[in-house]
Amino acid sequence: MATNIDILSPANRAGRPSLVSELRAFGGVVRKEWIIFRRYPSWIIAMFVWPVIFPAVYIFTARALAGPNGAGMAIFNQTAGTTDYLGYIAIGTIVWMWQNVVLWNVGFALREEQLRGTLETNWLSPTWRYSFLLGSSVTQLVTMCVFLTVSALEFWLFFGVRYNGNLGLVLLVILAAIPSIYGLGIAFASLVVTAKEAHTFVFLIRGMIMIFCGITYPLSVMPGWMQGVSRWLPQTYVIAAMRQAALGGASLTELLPDLVILLAFGVAWLVIGYLLFSVMERRARQTGAIGQY
Amino acid sequence: MGTNDQSLSRPNFFSQLRLLAAVAHKDWLVYWRYPLNATSSVLQPIVWLVPIYFMGLAFSINGKAVGFAGYSGTTNYISFALIGMVLGSFIDAVFWGMGFSLKEDMNTGVLEANWLAPASRLLIMTGRTFTSLTITTITSLLTLFISGSLFGFSIIGNLGLAILTVLPMLVGLYGFGFAFAALVLVLRDANTMVDVSNFLVQTFSGTSYPVTALPRYLLPFALALPLTYGFDAVRHLLLGTRTLLPLPLEIGLMLTFMLIMIVFGIWIFRRLEYRVRMKGTLGTH
Repeated sequence: MATNIDILSPANRAGRPSLVSELRAFGGVVRKEWIIFRRYPSWIIAMFVWPVIFPAVYIFTARALAGPNGAGMAIFNQTAGTTDYLGYIAIGTIVWMWQNVVLWNVGFALREEQLRGTLETNWLSPTWRYSFLLGSSVTQLVTMCVFLTVSALEFWLFFGVRYNGNLGLVLLVILAAIPSIYGLGIAFASLVVTAKEAHTFVFLIRGMIMIFCGITYPLSVMPGWMQGVSRWLPQTYVIAAMRQAALGGASLTELLPDLVILLAFGVAWLVIGYLLFSVMERRARQTGAIGQY
Repeated sequence: MGTNDQSLSRPNFFSQLRLLAAVAHKDWLVYWRYPLNATSSVLQPIVWLVPIYFMGLAFSINGKAVGFAGYSGTTNYISFALIGMVLGSFIDAVFWGMGFSLKEDMNTGVLEANWLAPASRLLIMTGRTFTSLTITTITSLLTLFISGSLFGFSIIGNLGLAILTVLPMLVGLYGFGFAFAALVLVLRDANTMVDVSNFLVQTFSGTSYPVTALPRYLLPFALALPLTYGFDAVRHLLLGTRTLLPLPLEIGLMLTFMLIMIVFGIWIFRRLEYRVRMKGTLGTH
């Protein structure tokens, strides 16, 4: 009846993890996160309702500012270089929502484990601890791909946004944006475990993105010092590149400068995230603070 | 020794007044105990306002939103949005503060103990209303002061009359808060519902734009919300904007809204309170 398991084989010894066992553990984390995600049906609202109602406020405001006979549109065209304010706002807000969800989900992934009382237990297993954070990022990434697709379709359906760009280039921008958006989430997760109740920090970071990255307006309307700040935020480049790729019909050559900057930011944030995680992990082991609320 | 008149088991008018003051004082202390949250409640609305402000600039010449005037009757767009922000903060307070007040008591484990006291539960909610109104007024005035200094705020109308108009709207809103608090108590995990409802109410009542700018198929939702007329009347009185209906009618609507919401709020609150007591779910999360 029983299968023969060689408990001395490196792959089966819990104390000496191999690459295969690490991958299995990583797969386990991804699966666990996926089960938790499906367990709470409020994701349906997050997935289908928010993409419509969040940009709606800005879109209706822009509609009011444009005026009943489009008197404000000419001015917007001069400052933003486009009259397509619908697409302009839709893309700005979708990037903001993406980063916001990553901050809440990936950023609070370890904190959730801490609150549930499973963080210490998990960390006692001989698994690379970074897997726990990467695993939640992968699950989140899958759901966000669906979210981005649903949002794009809903913008088209409800607001009449028309995309005249290249889908391949849009996907390329999304790929280039992933390291910096998730790197920030991973770095944030380590801070949250240390700082515990860190909701205010989420408000701060997403507020900065909302103010400086031009989610609903061209950067040129901000004062010079604010434009200087915006250049240090990767989301500025994600929004700009995405607008060019999806609405402006830009070519790869035109997008290349933004893509290179995005990848540089991505590498930097992933390294910062890993370093912060290592520091937090070492500190937690030394102080025994990992189980404290 | 004291007389039975002072006993909690025989509440009289003065003991009820003391209860009201104690509840209001308790909420006041709890709120200011977390200064970071208090700071956040002042600064958060400004963060939400900034994209609206800069977007307004992208559509304006020399600070005048000419297109916007076509819908509203004023080019003073930022003051229009600031008034919406202040009034919107009361909607936030009712949905998140009043709505979650009983659930918070449940989470901190004091709900059952409080409800065992020989005190009117409606009076407890009224005490909370006083504090919520006071705190929201203070924080939104601070927000208005800061954002007014940053972005500019000017009114041309009668502030006293605007305040008088806003009072029935706020009382009606808090009446609705009674019903909503009891509903959250029944539903328990209501964050998403509260978040979405709050957002939709603010979207359709026109916190940052005149509702006439909404697409035609959405306009009926906005016109069905009494708050829309409150926002409209206050803006007319302060900025001279065009109104949806004649001003006396809008004020009359606010007074009717107030009366209906008080009766409706108390009725729903009593029914749901009775239901959770009968089902014994007061202490279950």
